[in-house]
Amino acid sequence: MYMFKYICKRIGLMIMTFVIIFVTCFVLVKLLPIDTSVGFGEDTSKIIAQFEARGYFDPIPEQLVRYVKRIVLEGDFGIGFRMPSYRGRAVWDVFIEKLPPTILINIYSSLLAVPIGIALGIFAALKKNKWQDHLISTTVMVFISVPSFVYASLLLFTICFKLQLLPLSFASFADIIRAYPEKNLVYTPGTFNWSLYFNKEMFLSMLPAVFAMSFGSIAGYARFTRAELTEVLTSEFMLLARTKGLTKAQATVHHALRNSMVPIFPSIVGEFISVLSGSLVIEKIFQIPGVGGLYLNAINSQDYDFFMMLSGFYLLVGLAAGLVIDLSYGVIDPRIRMGAK
Amino acid sequence: MNTKKMFRSVLAMLLAAVMLLSFAACKTGNQGNATTTGGENSGTVAEKSYTYNTYLTLSPSNWNELTYQDNNDTEVMSWIGSSFFTYDFKFDSNGEIIPGEFEVEYSAATKLEDVSSKYVGTKWGVPEGATGYAYKITLREDLKWENGDPIKAEDFVYTMMEQLNPLFQNYRADSFYTGATTIVNAQAYVKQGQDLKNQAASVIYTTYSADLDSKLIFSLAPPVEGGSEVYLRTSMGFPASYDAAACANYLIGNYLTGSAFTAEAAAAMEGKTFAEIKADATMKAAWDALIGWWQTEPNEELHFFLTDYTYPELSFDEVGIFVGDTEYEIVIVLAKSLKLLKDDGSLSYQAAYNMSSLPLVHKATYEACKIAPTEGVDLWTSNYNSSVETTMSWGAYKLESFQAGKQFVLVKNPEWYGYNMPENEGLYQTTRVQYDIVEDWNSAWLLFQAGKVDGISIDVSIADDYKASSRAYFTPSDFVGSLQLQSNADQLAARQSEGVNKLMLKYTDFRKALSLAINRADYAQKCTTSSLAGFGLFNSMHYYDVENGGVFRNTDEARQVLCNIYGVDASKYESLTAAEKAITGYDLAQARELVTKAYNEALAAGDIKATDKVVLTMGTGSITESVERQYEYIKASWVELVKGTPLEGRLDVELKDFATAWANDFRAGAYDVCMGGWTGAAWDPGYFLLAYLDSGYMYSAAWDTANTMMTFTMKGVGENGADVTETMSLLDWYDCLNGSEGAKYNWSATALEQSQRLQLIAALEQEVLKVYYTVPLVNSFSASLLSYKIDYVTYEYNTFMGYGGTKYMTYNFDDEAWAAEVAAQGGELNYKN
Repeated sequence: MYMFKYICKRIGLMIMTFVIIFVTCFVLVKLLPIDTSVGFGEDTSKIIAQFEARGYFDPIPEQLVRYVKRIVLEGDFGIGFRMPSYRGRAVWDVFIEKLPPTILINIYSSLLAVPIGIALGIFAALKKNKWQDHLISTTVMVFISVPSFVYASLLLFTICFKLQLLPLSFASFADIIRAYPEKNLVYTPGTFNWSLYFNKEMFLSMLPAVFAMSFGSIAGYARFTRAELTEVLTSEFMLLARTKGLTKAQATVHHALRNSMVPIFPSIVGEFISVLSGSLVIEKIFQIPGVGGLYLNAINSQDYDFFMMLSGFYLLVGLAAGLVIDLSYGVIDPRIRMGAK
Repeated sequence: MNTKKMFRSVLAMLLAAVMLLSFAACKTGNQGNATTTGGENSGTVAEKSYTYNTYLTLSPSNWNELTYQDNNDTEVMSWIGSSFFTYDFKFDSNGEIIPGEFEVEYSAATKLEDVSSKYVGTKWGVPEGATGYAYKITLREDLKWENGDPIKAEDFVYTMMEQLNPLFQNYRADSFYTGATTIVNAQAYVKQGQDLKNQAASVIYTTYSADLDSKLIFSLAPPVEGGSEVYLRTSMGFPASYDAAACANYLIGNYLTGSAFTAEAAAAMEGKTFAEIKADATMKAAWDALIGWWQTEPNEELHFFLTDYTYPELSFDEVGIFVGDTEYEIVIVLAKSLKLLKDDGSLSYQAAYNMSSLPLVHKATYEACKIAPTEGVDLWTSNYNSSVETTMSWGAYKLESFQAGKQFVLVKNPEWYGYNMPENEGLYQTTRVQYDIVEDWNSAWLLFQAGKVDGISIDVSIADDYKASSRAYFTPSDFVGSLQLQSNADQLAARQSEGVNKLMLKYTDFRKALSLAINRADYAQKCTTSSLAGFGLFNSMHYYDVENGGVFRNTDEARQVLCNIYGVDASKYESLTAAEKAITGYDLAQARELVTKAYNEALAAGDIKATDKVVLTMGTGSITESVERQYEYIKASWVELVKGTPLEGRLDVELKDFATAWANDFRAGAYDVCMGGWTGAAWDPGYFLLAYLDSGYMYSAAWDTANTMMTFTMKGVGENGADVTETMSLLDWYDCLNGSEGAKYNWSATALEQSQRLQLIAALEQEVLKVYYTVPLVNSFSASLLSYKIDYVTYEYNTFMGYGGTKYMTYNFDDEAWAAEVAAQGGELNYKN
């Protein structure tokens, strides 16, 4: 029951935090001066008339009420107005259309990174100060130090361009439709068609980006796991476990690994939640039509509807992630009781 | 325990599901080259497929002719639309292209007639005896949409009505009232119902008369939200942060000290009508002082006023476009004349430039795409031409697929009339056009070498290896890359801090020194791929007389300007051409003398202390490798400049990112130096001067061109060919040059011979250059590589036809052969030779 109360309290606080930050974002972005510049020889009044007709010069509280009402009653998050490439498009439709590639690449990357990273970490911890440990640790340091866009460029050049093992660019829907004529695939903008994403052609085209994104994560997990496990392996309770007759493997798997997972597991949960945000650089290099860069471009272009929708979405995801991560501590370690006095 | 089990199960299921979904659908598919035979040929005998693969860095979003906003949008529009009149190469008797020459041909139209005389004395206001005001365009009778629907004159009239529909405030509506193609009442129709309280009175009333007194409202305040700039504010360069009192204090402190125009009087006058001001003795005295100082020309009272003008309702019948005598005739009546026909009745260059086409939408589709405003919004919008489903083509190609942010594909439109024209036989070999969105140049470069993209710009990083390639070609541009130096002395002063000086930029000699310290030829070589040193506001792409191939820069007047500015004594050379060739724009010795002179003046005036360091902030929209290279070069040049001068070791240049607001921030005086220039209006340099003289566009927004006077003699433009000598502000000279409303003289292109206008264009260029707020550095050229797959009809750039475009493009390989060729080369093509 205390857990239920705790969750309700956290959700209540989450909603309150969300409302405060969301309203603050809305007010602050509306306080920015409106850019009414136009091209050479064009009429400034046309852009002013557009802003005026869209209600951008109305009092901010009035705009806020209207905005919230529109979202709640009609599910309408607005239309892109300023951001190149998305002018005149429903912001929610654009976001939903661009989300799947980002999510898939992140998920594939996490699926690759988590087991490999943890396995390498365990292996390095068990071989502490031996050549295997030194090799893994040195490699890990290299991959942590080098930014992901460097792997991305190297992968693109070597694996995709020189060796031609994988495609040079992320597949388009038209590519997929042409590759599988027998499936009669159809792409309708603003809708999600699983068949366009789950096929060999698309999967292969995602792999270079998946590899590029996973290298850093693998290194991170390996380092983290090694550090935690090394510490746990030297704990006194491990000595006790061995003295009571457990083999090294039994003691490691049942006691050491489990304890070392307490700080690692939440970061894995966090990684899966963060699949909703794209990598600006990786998506750019591999030509992935994902959400990376959308937020930054919305801010730079002062596209209010895009900015507010993305702010609200990521804010909600961030707050929910915090809650889920906190709760996950209790799952991995029963000694941790959320909300208990 | 149960919770744990459940969690494990969920996790395991999630992992399994994702893996399964990924592989379940994996089935051996067609992995070969995605060769298609073109939609219209499906089911028939397979023809060879010729795909033109290209890329954009940003995706188009809206290729609706009524609302498009950027060049990405026009990429789609160029394929799905057609033209009444088009340019073409001029061929000699052997069928060879004559370099630099062009022809204008009929395309979607079959006839163009000047019918101005028919509308003299009617509601359209065509002046007696005038030509070029009304035209009748006769359309081909076989024009069709991609779905086979016929296109007639009424479709163009309907589209214009929608273009100007006040409920939509379409982004491109102003194309028909701000530029050269000004349709009668277009502006009045689109703005009907708009209250222009916040706009400068001069927009509406060009001539002051006492009966306007009750309508004019005095204001020095910044425009309210939604309002336009007040003319006075922009011409004086007041920053947005200045309120009415700050503006008044500035005027009082700098120009009207001790006059009746006091801060109290200004505050009292703010918001009052001219009638109220005149009725009050104190305010009247203050007004007289103000206008007495300001006025240089009649009617400039209007610069201080706002007005309550509201555009009245207007029927579309009053707009100058309607169906002619037959259903294939469009009549268009212009507010400003255009010379679309030469004296011999053939098409002039302007026909294909100013009247290439009129916007056209498919009525049924457009109506279905209209989106009504939501609560609190008054604006109607449309998603016409934003997806395959909402797109309708009447051009040579039609949209086959579109994935926002990723790719779009066009294929031949079998309904296009042009394929039936005998002159197009054997042309348009391209069957398919594929655009990929590739933001990163390095990724595009790999795609190009892998044969997946057919053209790419040569980046500086590969220039040394590829500039000599047989597949390299160089395209000139009308863009002159220039350094812009800050003109707002108040802001320079405001941004100074202890020991840090900015005010040196106030001194013309110092700015001139900065200009002379840059070795332009060396800069062009080291900082650009293929640009050349530039010295003037205009380059070889600016034509003052298009019809006769008159390039402004090649005239004696233009050459003399550069000789004057860069201190080359033309009399010492055998010709002006030789003198111009001697210009380098680089004279370190003179530059150092100028630095010393300016420094001593500044020291004497208290604008710099003997211990101050001059720190110039260079701003940019994004700090890229290329920007950093330019910055380092300029910084090194200026540090070298001050050696041996009192400023030695006391000058530094810093680079800052001002993101998308960089241009507006510079105009507002937020930093000191930027790289910037203008492109556009290359065939009308007289009009292009607007960019350097109108504070709405100028980088040097604080330079008061409305009060910078020039005395000049226009030769042979007076009565009986007499000379006309005048002293006017630069802006007034500009207005005369372009025949603006209210200008003292009309020396526009339709009123004067181009050769006569030339002298004034040159004089104004010199006035802009000699203040050194704009320092031209390079004439822009872009270098590109073209795939082995295709060939252009010519590699000599033609201003009117480029390299011939898709119309003349030929293929050395069809798609299958190209895939085989790339594979034979090991998947990597070598373009170094």
